[in-house]
Amino acid sequence: MRHLIAVLFALGVLLGTPDTGLCATGTPTPLLQQVLGELARHEAVRADFVQTRSNPALARPQESHGQLLFVLGHGMLWQSLAPVAETLAFTGRQAARIDTQGQAYPLRNARGVAQISDMLQSMLAGHGDEVSRQFDMTASGTLAHWTLQLVPRQERVARVLERIELSGGEFLQGIRIVMHDGGDTDIRFSRNRDAGELSGLEKRVLGLP
Amino acid sequence: MKSRLDRHAVLFAAALALLAVLGAWLLFGRGAVPIQTDLLAMLPATEQQPLAEAAVQRLAHANGDRVVLLVQNADDERAKAAARALGKALAGDHVFRSVMAELPPFDLHEMVAPYLPHRFFLLSDADRAAMAAPGYDPAQALAQRLNAPFLDGVGTTLQNDPFGWLQHWLDEQPWSRSSLLPEDNLLVAHPDGGTSVLVTATLDGSSYDDTVQRRALAAVDTAVRQVEHGQPGTRVLRTGAVFYAAAARAGAEHDVRLVGWISTLGIALLLIGMFRSPGPLLLAFLSTAAGVLAATVVSLLVFGQIYLLTLVFGAALLGEAVDYSIQYLTARANAGSRWDAAAGLRQVRPALLLALATSLLGYALLAGVPFPALRQMAVFAMSGMLAACLSVFWLLPAMLQRAARPLSAAPVRWALALQRAVGRAGQGRRGLGLAVLLLLLALPGWQRLGHDDDVHLLISPPASLVAQEHRIRDITGLGNGSQFYLVQGANTEQTLQREELLEQRLQAMVRRGQLADWLGLARMAPSQARQQADHALLARSLQADGTVPATGEPPAGAPASTRTRADRERLQSLLVAGGLRADAAAGYADTWPGTPLAFTRWLESPLATPFRYLWMGCSAQGCASIVLPQGDDDAQLQSAADRLPGVILVDKAASVSQLFGRYRRYASLWLFAAIMLVVPVFGWRYGWQRMLRVMLPPVAGIALALAALGYLGQPLTLFHWMALMLVLGVGANYAVFLHEGEPHTAHRPGAMYASVLLSAITTLLSFGLLSLSSMPALHDFGITLLLGIGFTVLLVPTSRPPVTDAP
Repeated sequence: MRHLIAVLFALGVLLGTPDTGLCATGTPTPLLQQVLGELARHEAVRADFVQTRSNPALARPQESHGQLLFVLGHGMLWQSLAPVAETLAFTGRQAARIDTQGQAYPLRNARGVAQISDMLQSMLAGHGDEVSRQFDMTASGTLAHWTLQLVPRQERVARVLERIELSGGEFLQGIRIVMHDGGDTDIRFSRNRDAGELSGLEKRVLGLP
Repeated sequence: MKSRLDRHAVLFAAALALLAVLGAWLLFGRGAVPIQTDLLAMLPATEQQPLAEAAVQRLAHANGDRVVLLVQNADDERAKAAARALGKALAGDHVFRSVMAELPPFDLHEMVAPYLPHRFFLLSDADRAAMAAPGYDPAQALAQRLNAPFLDGVGTTLQNDPFGWLQHWLDEQPWSRSSLLPEDNLLVAHPDGGTSVLVTATLDGSSYDDTVQRRALAAVDTAVRQVEHGQPGTRVLRTGAVFYAAAARAGAEHDVRLVGWISTLGIALLLIGMFRSPGPLLLAFLSTAAGVLAATVVSLLVFGQIYLLTLVFGAALLGEAVDYSIQYLTARANAGSRWDAAAGLRQVRPALLLALATSLLGYALLAGVPFPALRQMAVFAMSGMLAACLSVFWLLPAMLQRAARPLSAAPVRWALALQRAVGRAGQGRRGLGLAVLLLLLALPGWQRLGHDDDVHLLISPPASLVAQEHRIRDITGLGNGSQFYLVQGANTEQTLQREELLEQRLQAMVRRGQLADWLGLARMAPSQARQQADHALLARSLQADGTVPATGEPPAGAPASTRTRADRERLQSLLVAGGLRADAAAGYADTWPGTPLAFTRWLESPLATPFRYLWMGCSAQGCASIVLPQGDDDAQLQSAADRLPGVILVDKAASVSQLFGRYRRYASLWLFAAIMLVVPVFGWRYGWQRMLRVMLPPVAGIALALAALGYLGQPLTLFHWMALMLVLGVGANYAVFLHEGEPHTAHRPGAMYASVLLSAITTLLSFGLLSLSSMPALHDFGITLLLGIGFTVLLVPTSRPPVTDAP
């Protein structure tokens, strides 16, 4: 629940979910299927990100930037460079903060994280049930320039989270999370590319052989 | 003479009638039938501290009147529809006070609001460790929170908790860690890709009340059938005390029917066959009924209730209680036309008294064991045997004035043949050789004997119920095992502080993967010392930031209000520098320092409701609370309590097993002591040389029964030993009967042994059936008596010189 559902979802779509009819309301549209199919083609993806967060409590939006690595079936590495240098690993089993020595420290609320991993694993295995239980999904645009909109179905979540928007072309280019309290998080991706060879540290924290 | 017999009989019959009225009132006149289906009640108080025992009871009954159902379906929609339908169906039955399937409306912010005034006193373990470490920078923590990926959403808002400290603390709370989450207004988990929905119901009455049990079970069964039919693929798991109690009752009732009816029928057939007339049969049953009646009334008077164990055991006692009347009836049959009721009584009285004494001795040892259920069993047996024996002395003679037909010829012939064969085999060198052979045969059996002291001997719930409970616990995290920590302190504060010390160790075990989790109050409402320390740590971390407030650093020893103002200014400038709007920053800073969370206030709040049972309260001796470890039962839980003052690990199952083991070891000594006790009695009555012969059959019966148990691969339990004690008592009876009766039946060789065999067969029948019981304790009891008495009665002829043919 909570914010983590949003994380999960973003992860799932970003990683590329096999087109198994994610749409809870009727059959998936051809566009939605195509988009998901396109995203699923990339085994491992790197991208630069810029995250902009605005909130009524903030005098000015917070901006952070860094690098992101996705590996299908294993998870993602969120490497923020500024204003705070920190690396977070979201893997199938857990979420952890990685220190400069490459040491992993599990993040708080391990059970919630385990749930994300569970949902994530099932998505990757081609079961979109979890996402469709949580969100109504609609697609618009063209394959070269699409937008997916996710509106929470669960009343308790819907009271807090207004919607999540994903947009992109061949790769995912943006995630926007809009909250009812005026909070708005916008993540833009650039220089999307296939990841190529992973470093030893990346392999280790993502649990790759 | 005759009139004295009649007077006795009338008095005895009147006493029986009174007893019957009293019994009827005790059983049915006081509301619910006083049959105890709470299996925990059968267990002894094992804990040295009364408070620990009270905690065991409280935990067992915390969810005692609750029924927990988990509706499972691979299809999400179906699972949810089934859960809603189940909730509706159960709500329609008045046996449930309340049913929860759909969640009552609540706002997630309600979980946060009560903690806001105390936010500067509550720190998560991770934040505490981070702040205690050198170089903690609150500005950095703020930036991390503001820029965390995706971590936006429900929970504390930026205005209320810009650093995320309170959110981190809330994340550690049990409700944040539950694997059940609200979804479509239901509490849902998704194990293995499917959907599981929780439905709970609270009984309107006790789980141990017969009527409530039946109605609740019927309501759940019907509702479950409906939803399983309505939503194909649905499976409903269930757990709750009411199911266990009902299963225990059903098992016991089944056993009572099995043992009671079959042994009654068997005994009736045997008696008819032997005495060739229905009269003796009726009298034998009258005597037995007197025994059962007296036993029930005495047990109810002493204990106030009947345990299921006693109920089943009582049914098996029929076969033993009937022995006394059989001896009197055979004496009558053997006397033929010379029968005189009073003289016949004088003839059998010594044997019956001796037999009664040995039986009472056997059961009295059972009564010495501190298990309530076993004590009741012993009291039941002792009063039953006594009443059955007295009925032979006082009631039967008046009703058996006329002479009877002799015993059937055929059984007497068979008995004689057996008696002769065994008698001859037991003589001289052949006997010695046979004894050596038996010894050689028995040796490997003895070597195979092991032992078992597990608590399942007394409590063995059906495997399917246990499996369902485990599954529900795995999925929901609900329910608790039998192990827990009892934390005691002089007052609330000390108790909470001691709990915190324990919880530090438990948390370390969680980190090492030795424990899944734990549940304790101090995590939800920390001690004042912990809160003050956390607050001081927070204040220090803010100062370490180096931001000098506009009003300047207050001098050491400045009044508290000056310090507070300085802290607020520092906090505000930190937030504004971090990017918060001035008004939001001021709003947050103005709540500094707030107040610590008061334990008693928290305990009374609705948030504490689900956890209130963990607080044992305070008395003149101090306060106590319960901490529940969750996860593997065999984790090294004891080590967590080692050398912590006021903390003990309570493990009821282990304590009971230890007690079983201790008494099992005692029991073997007792058996030896009992044999030593019987020796002088028999020595006095029969002379030392014949005493050896009389003692041989029961002692050899015990030895051979042990060997047979070894061959059967049955590990010895306390109950085997208890039963062996009875084998001694009952087996000695047979030797006594044969010894005392033989001189009076010299004119009919074999007749006395036939009556001993008849007594033995009725006993074997009912105790043999007991070995089919679903209760392990009774099963062990039954099989041991079956073997022991069987061997003994076969060997009994060796206690007399071989019979010669009658003239």
